[in-house]
Amino acid sequence: MIQTESYKLSMGPVHPSTHGVLQVWLTLDGERILRADPCMGYLHRGIEKLLEKRTYFQCLPYTDRLDYVSAMNNNLGYCSAVEKLAQIEVPKRAQYIRVIMAELNRIASHMIFIGSLAVDLGATTGMIYPFRDRERILDIFNELCGARMTYSYIRIGGVKSDLAVKVISMIDDFLAKLTDMIDEYNDLLTGNEIFQYRLKNTSILTAKQAMELGITGPMLRASGVSYDLRKDNTYCSYEDFDFSIPLGEKGDNWDRYIVRLKEMSESAKIIKQALAGLPTGEFMAKVPKVLKPPKGEVYDVTEGPRGEVGYHIVSDGSAKPYRVHIRRPSFINLQALDIMCRGYLVGDVVAAMSTIDPIMGEVDC
Amino acid sequence: MQGKGLLVGLAVTLKHFFGKKETVQYPEEKIPMTEAFRGGKLLLDEKKCISCKLCAMACPNTALDLTVEIDENKKRHMKNYIHKAGRCLYCNFCVEACPVDALSWDKNYENSCYYRENLTYDAVENNRKDEKNG
Ligand code: SF4
Ligand code: SF4
Repeated sequence: MIQTESYKLSMGPVHPSTHGVLQVWLTLDGERILRADPCMGYLHRGIEKLLEKRTYFQCLPYTDRLDYVSAMNNNLGYCSAVEKLAQIEVPKRAQYIRVIMAELNRIASHMIFIGSLAVDLGATTGMIYPFRDRERILDIFNELCGARMTYSYIRIGGVKSDLAVKVISMIDDFLAKLTDMIDEYNDLLTGNEIFQYRLKNTSILTAKQAMELGITGPMLRASGVSYDLRKDNTYCSYEDFDFSIPLGEKGDNWDRYIVRLKEMSESAKIIKQALAGLPTGEFMAKVPKVLKPPKGEVYDVTEGPRGEVGYHIVSDGSAKPYRVHIRRPSFINLQALDIMCRGYLVGDVVAAMSTIDPIMGEVDC
Repeated sequence: MQGKGLLVGLAVTLKHFFGKKETVQYPEEKIPMTEAFRGGKLLLDEKKCISCKLCAMACPNTALDLTVEIDENKKRHMKNYIHKAGRCLYCNFCVEACPVDALSWDKNYENSCYYRENLTYDAVENNRKDEKNG
């Protein structure tokens, strides 16, 4: 009888496929995983605490630095929470512009997902294409607000600037090419047999498990639960648009990939409708120079590319928030890593991590 | 057929191999920055500036350190306009806060340096240097 023993392996924090600085402690029995413990905190900057020392306006650039891949969605979450707290009515035009930008950012974020999934599975070419296409979206944002990553474009009460004609034509141009781009990903990756072998029937997360863990976003929808805040808790005029919510069946890596791929086309649909029906009027509400929301607290949620982005803000009536807590979807989704890895092989950890799509800036906050 | 997907993928690569190049040969070739681009150093138009310090007040990360001097005619002058670029979030709030549009970005993105201290500069001093050099 051979005596065997489980052993521990540390993966990360400096590992090319941990999406930043994530460390995972793997307990292994040979190649099989018994346990996977994510260990985080390497990128902790204390943003929640920093916000307490800043005025409501000054807090905004810090939200860019949470989920830096989809800063627009974070800006949106923060601004709508403050607006709810201070009872500011956002003009319709601003709401539409916000929707356009949030959805464009969702597409960009999903492109990063596809690219990093490909490179994590060893397909370097598969990475280059989505990253190249994402650059087109970043060009639009650069033209719009002067930054490629940290936009601070969505402001309390509206948006920073109106949509210029050039920006609109850039968006049109991009949308016209998007179908070709997605076809290319399908040719390169979706149809690739190795890609399919690696993703199908691995790291299954059932609907029950996902709901128990509080998973949200595409990950939850891949497990077959239809829950999207854009439909279930509409905000920012999402009720005006006609779009569907792609769902998965099994909750394996493949479903998580396909759901995100399909979401990109749905986002494009929303943008097209928003551009076609863009109302005229103001792009910024009248907001006092010194914003002092009334005493009280608010919790407001929006649907980011990774799930439910929630801001809990407590106001003591002064110009600075008393406390801000941020519900970061990546942080909560990452907790599923253990369940998703148990019983699978070391090589599958990388795929599981990739399909969770965590952004460490958001995990550590 | 097994392996068909691989061939289809290979065809995409081949198509692009002979297609137009996406990359530019930096640093020989540079992509122009957009009108709204925020980055590089802050340029202070001293003729316009009224030394009100609103820009420093809007800054979320205290990246601006201004010293205002009052001369014999009770006129306010900006003596030092220190921008600690290492603390800067490039949020543009200072530029937007200025009531007289005295601030702008020089849009030079090649601003990395070896030492942290070199990130801090004085916009007023930079103006003097520019005057000297014509
Ligand atoms: S860009 Fe923002 S962080 Fe930088 S100096 Fe201006 S206000 Fe401060
Ligand atoms: S806000 Fe404008 S005018 Fe006032 S001190 Fe700053 S640069 Fe000068």
